[in-house]
Amino acid sequence: MITDRFEVPSRLRTTGIVLLLIGVLALVGGFATLLPGAEHDQARFWTVLLQNSVFFLFVSAASIFIQAAAGLAQGGWIVAYRRVPEAIGANVWVFGLIALIVLFSIVFGLGEHNPIYHWVHPHGDKVLEGKSSFLNKGMFAGFSIVTVGLWSWFGIKFRSMSLAQDRAPRNSTKIYWKMVAMSGAFLFVYALSMMSTTPWYWIMSIDAHWYSTLFSWYVFASSFVSGMALILLWTVYLKNRGNLEFVTKEHMHDLGKFMFAFSIFWTYLWFAQFMLIWYANIPEETTYFKIRMQGPYAFFFWANLILNFVLPILILMARPSKRNYFTIVFMAMTIIFGHWIDFYVMTMPGPLQQHWHLDWYELGIVCGFIGIMILTVSKTLAKADLVPVNNPFLKETLIHIS
Amino acid sequence: MHLKYESFVREPLINGNKTYAQVTEDICRPIEQKPTRLWYMGFIFSLLLLGFGAFSVTWEVYWGIGTWGINRTVGWGWDITNFVWWVGIGHAGTLISAILLLFRQGWRTGVNRAAEAMTIFAVMCAGQFPIFHMGRVWNAFYVLPLPNTRGALWPNFNSALLWDVFAISTYFTVSLLFWYSGLVPDFATIRDRAKTKLRKKLYGVASFGWTGTAKNWQRFEALSLVLAGLSTPLVLSVHTIVSFDFATSVIPGWHATIFPPYFVAGAVFSGFAMVNTLLVLVRKIFRLEDYITIGHIEAMNKVIVLTGSIVGVAYLTELFMAWYSQVVYEQEAFKWRVLGPYWWSYWAMMACNVVSPQFFWFKKLRRNIVFTFLLSIVVNIGMWFERFVIIVTSLYRDYLPSSWTYYSPTWTEMGFYIGTFGLFFTCFFLFAKYFPVVAIAEIKFTLKTSGDNYKREMQALDEKTVEEFIHVAEHAH
Repeated sequence: MITDRFEVPSRLRTTGIVLLLIGVLALVGGFATLLPGAEHDQARFWTVLLQNSVFFLFVSAASIFIQAAAGLAQGGWIVAYRRVPEAIGANVWVFGLIALIVLFSIVFGLGEHNPIYHWVHPHGDKVLEGKSSFLNKGMFAGFSIVTVGLWSWFGIKFRSMSLAQDRAPRNSTKIYWKMVAMSGAFLFVYALSMMSTTPWYWIMSIDAHWYSTLFSWYVFASSFVSGMALILLWTVYLKNRGNLEFVTKEHMHDLGKFMFAFSIFWTYLWFAQFMLIWYANIPEETTYFKIRMQGPYAFFFWANLILNFVLPILILMARPSKRNYFTIVFMAMTIIFGHWIDFYVMTMPGPLQQHWHLDWYELGIVCGFIGIMILTVSKTLAKADLVPVNNPFLKETLIHIS
Repeated sequence: MHLKYESFVREPLINGNKTYAQVTEDICRPIEQKPTRLWYMGFIFSLLLLGFGAFSVTWEVYWGIGTWGINRTVGWGWDITNFVWWVGIGHAGTLISAILLLFRQGWRTGVNRAAEAMTIFAVMCAGQFPIFHMGRVWNAFYVLPLPNTRGALWPNFNSALLWDVFAISTYFTVSLLFWYSGLVPDFATIRDRAKTKLRKKLYGVASFGWTGTAKNWQRFEALSLVLAGLSTPLVLSVHTIVSFDFATSVIPGWHATIFPPYFVAGAVFSGFAMVNTLLVLVRKIFRLEDYITIGHIEAMNKVIVLTGSIVGVAYLTELFMAWYSQVVYEQEAFKWRVLGPYWWSYWAMMACNVVSPQFFWFKKLRRNIVFTFLLSIVVNIGMWFERFVIIVTSLYRDYLPSSWTYYSPTWTEMGFYIGTFGLFFTCFFLFAKYFPVVAIAEIKFTLKTSGDNYKREMQALDEKTVEEFIHVAEHAH
């Protein structure tokens, strides 16, 4: 019987704990210095938490989507390392819980003048009053709880079904077909949350007057490509530890192709949203890009495009670079950081206007989230065998050629 | 040599215990026989449709665009609706040949040839509409940025309509190259089997002197990959730019950022539906059920339910955002679209495109040939209505109520549309008679991994443990 167990190395655990402590320190520091401060300091305190919790939740949830998509498309390529997306997906509930706490604190806890979601108290704003049957506390809470609840459930369920397959009789397909059906169900849920309502509520409603029909698909593309990069980082890490011996350059090449293709896809959606608004030049719509492109966020605006489009297309285009462990790891980190910047550009300008920061608090909080990711996912990975020995596609993946 | 193995979960893509020789025989047979009576009837009927189309267009060119029902408010009617509809249908071929090649989807080999042919014919049909919509069609070459003697008269490079000229012509060129390069080894096969001098000569010219050497194949593979790489962004770009024709404007109902990806999804949706319509017939008429299996049809039906649902999310998003924007013009535009005098077109679109594909969540229906055939037609009716809804119901309630109008097509417009069916099917009948409708060489690539006889031999590998399997794989030769 093939076994491939991962034990969390003490160095990884220490790194995770240190990062988490940095995050906690930043949170405490923010609590002590920012929260009692001026209005934009308070806004900064909450917006940074919002940006990170939503970003990490979306990126983790992409792992569930990837499992479902590969399951429906009968993708054999992912099976060699599918315990990685399973482990990330099974921890979606952690980031979901954090995001719910942050979002609910913002919506319910900030009194008469909400610095982030202006729609909480429209104060006679006709447009916001008009939207109030959608943008209100109750609907926001309901949609958020249902989204996080369903994602968390599917994430845990997918992993437990995959583990059950390991113990099933050889070549039994009962669980396999059940997972296919569940994948279809998840896609339905995901289409009605991630591809539509969820990013509207959590991110787009920060700029409460502004709207773009494409917005949720754009956020999805950002999360999806980062999700692929995250899977790649964990897989290469495990490989470096001596686990996952069946994973070869052929498999890494696939992930490299996905990072390349979906970076272009993200750029395509970025361009579609930007160009149509720029071309039509309607003031209600261009205001969104005005502050981002020409105002105080211009640096991040262009950095976003360079990190997420220029670098991937130039570096990942060639075949050898997708088969080189150094390049793909470097690019995976670039892409995750790049899309973190993308979320920064989406969330900060509304509440903070020109008072943006990228300082101890922003960096400290993101360290905390990385720490949580390391601790939770590594712990889950260590709980079961890393080779899905009884998966009907395992033999295909052993002889896989990209 | 690499071990040929694929999971037992995948169903065979080629049935009937085929050998390489049998594959050649089965696919070349229809080309080498005299056409059936059914073929002649279909071909002549198509020619009649084409003739009626030519007559309608001649009428329009002679008397002017006033013979159409379009007016000052509704300046785009059936013409642009049909244009977008045909372009959309022309998406499946390139998606199957390029994107599915990059995704290593083995089932593409059964359907790619016919789908690519369909793409090319559909784009040819599409191109007619903007050209004849110009009215003074003899000036059509003005859209090309040619150095000219007309002084400073150049096309407007800021116009999405001009981008469309480039997008469609590039797409047509690359699709044609892709299709033709795949045909070269198959033409050589027919040439080598030819019994008549003329056939040998013609297929010999068409196959560019292909001899099937290792070097030939190496070049062929390299070219396929390059063309697949070029076509993949083209699949997205063509319908994106078609969507720009609408979305760059400031007309409520047209100006929406979701248009580009939603148009692409809709195009793939209608394209796959058309592939299903044609292949259900082709596999029956040419007895190719062993190559275009129920599994192939099911795979395409899965794409249809996926893209249909994406389109559904987009419709609902548009509708929601019109309300959410709190812009009175957006709200009114959608109110007139859903509940106005054209309400039937909106609800036909919703029923055909969003509701009907949901039946394909059920495996029984995905694998039912009759149901697939009917639904593929329903989808294409729905996608025609989608374009009609977008174009006509966004225009007919103008900003000024005094400009409000209602639009119905005249016989010349309808005749033009019918004529493009004639063109499409004339081309398709000729293709089906003279070209191998399934890619012979590419089927042979997949035969030893996905043929039913080879898959039966793999059962021994399925029974092995992982360790034993690795041992076999390492010693395979």
